[in-house]
Amino acid sequence: MLVIARSELIQLFRNRLVLVTSFLSPVAACVFFVSRHELFAELGSAGYVAAMVLFTVGAFGVHASTVTTLASRRQTLFLKRLRSTPASDSAVLTGLVLPVVALALVQVAVMLAVFAGVAGGPAHPALLGVAVVAVVAMMLAFGAAVAGLTTSPEHAQVTALPVSLGTVAVTNWVGLTGTAESTAWQRLVPGGSATELVLAAWNGGTPASESLLLLAPTLGWVLAAVALASRLFRWEPRR
Amino acid sequence: MTSTPVIDVDRLTLRYGGFHAVKDLSFRVARGELYALLGTNGAGKTTALEVVEGHRRATSGTVRVFGRSPRDRRAVRHRVGIMLQESGFSPDLTVRESVALMGALSHREDRVGRVLDLVDLTRRAGTRVSQLSGGEKRRLDFAAAVYGRPELLFLDEPTAGLDIRSRDALWDAVDRLRAAGTTVVLTTHYLEEAQQRADRVGLMHRGSLHREGSVADLTRALPATIRFSLAPGAPTPRPPAVARPGGGFVVETFALQRELRALLTWAGGHGVELLGLEAGPTRLDDVLRSLDGT
Repeated sequence: MLVIARSELIQLFRNRLVLVTSFLSPVAACVFFVSRHELFAELGSAGYVAAMVLFTVGAFGVHASTVTTLASRRQTLFLKRLRSTPASDSAVLTGLVLPVVALALVQVAVMLAVFAGVAGGPAHPALLGVAVVAVVAMMLAFGAAVAGLTTSPEHAQVTALPVSLGTVAVTNWVGLTGTAESTAWQRLVPGGSATELVLAAWNGGTPASESLLLLAPTLGWVLAAVALASRLFRWEPRR
Repeated sequence: MTSTPVIDVDRLTLRYGGFHAVKDLSFRVARGELYALLGTNGAGKTTALEVVEGHRRATSGTVRVFGRSPRDRRAVRHRVGIMLQESGFSPDLTVRESVALMGALSHREDRVGRVLDLVDLTRRAGTRVSQLSGGEKRRLDFAAAVYGRPELLFLDEPTAGLDIRSRDALWDAVDRLRAAGTTVVLTTHYLEEAQQRADRVGLMHRGSLHREGSVADLTRALPATIRFSLAPGAPTPRPPAVARPGGGFVVETFALQRELRALLTWAGGHGVELLGLEAGPTRLDDVLRSLDGT
């Protein structure tokens, strides 16, 4: 698995297009949010800035990159090649997405650390950590599912958009309207409860044990996306 | 075949909807053997091979490789080298990185340098796969397949796109592996390669195995041929020589030596030159052509 991950990391850094669209663009957006944190905090809250950072990286750095990577490796038959070795399917998939996930986690950690440095840290760091893991897992699972519907890396530019833009939109919706009167809809749509969890973790005011209940819808989406991925995912291009 | 076969395929069927890509296919490959699975386009060779390699699941029937299911990758794949019909290497990795990756995943011991030497890609070690020619990609494919000298080697169209020098080098490498005991399963459209090298041949047609045996077994069933042309105005030869639709004459016979001698005697007696004279036993391509009539 690690040897696959290492080769994947090399490929990511050699492909400038992927590097720019999946990693540098989200970082640029996050730098903007953090540098204007006072404005965004005024519109929503400090937690809203943290949620935007997390979901921007999750949507583009994790979800879109996962869709692009898997579609590209399938199109070039690299997936089939890897499956001709003793490596298991789970090891192949894990190896392929590990660099994407690792880079995203580093991006989120650095950006949130910088944000904490300039605007003050989260009220519940451990809860924030849980939220980060949940969001990354959800975006990864959605990425695997959408990759099943994606025929090429070019096609991925289109197929990745609904989940990427949708979750970012939900983050804005929940982040700007606040959590005081969150509706069931806000909590049930992908990213809604996770955004609320980030807001609670950063802003405080709610007991951590109560906030953990917000994990349930996110984990539900993870399970749904994994089930979808196991049905839709193809190892070889359609003939 | 007394020892346990390396490959044991029993009544393998693979269906896509109502279409039988492979139907009731059975064959065995013994240790150290070179078995060629041949057939016309769309005969089901590659599909059958992909089931045997463990890439596809059979609709029915059983496949055993080293006595295990080929889908049991952990148990089987470290003993198997697979040269796929299509390349499947990442365009952004170099030749060396590609072989090192596949080598590490194969769980077999070898040196990347040795394998690159074997396929004459040492000078291209630092080149990205995207910059390789088609022939170089085939050689890279072969290098990855033979890394660590596997016990069983699948070669799917191994010499397609290779120049004659690269073909010779590839077959030399296969011969050395076979001398060390490697079992080889080959599919190819270059029938002369199978004719020269295969211990046994399976001929597939429309998803089924129609004939199987050594090259001698398969060609024995069909007559040898003598082909020639005559200058305009030359006397017409007697039967069994018959005129071919495209011009010239053909003799089909199970007594090649006797008929050839008779023909040469007739030509000498009439002062006739036999233009473009060719005489030889039946070739595998003749056997394959005969399948269209089955």
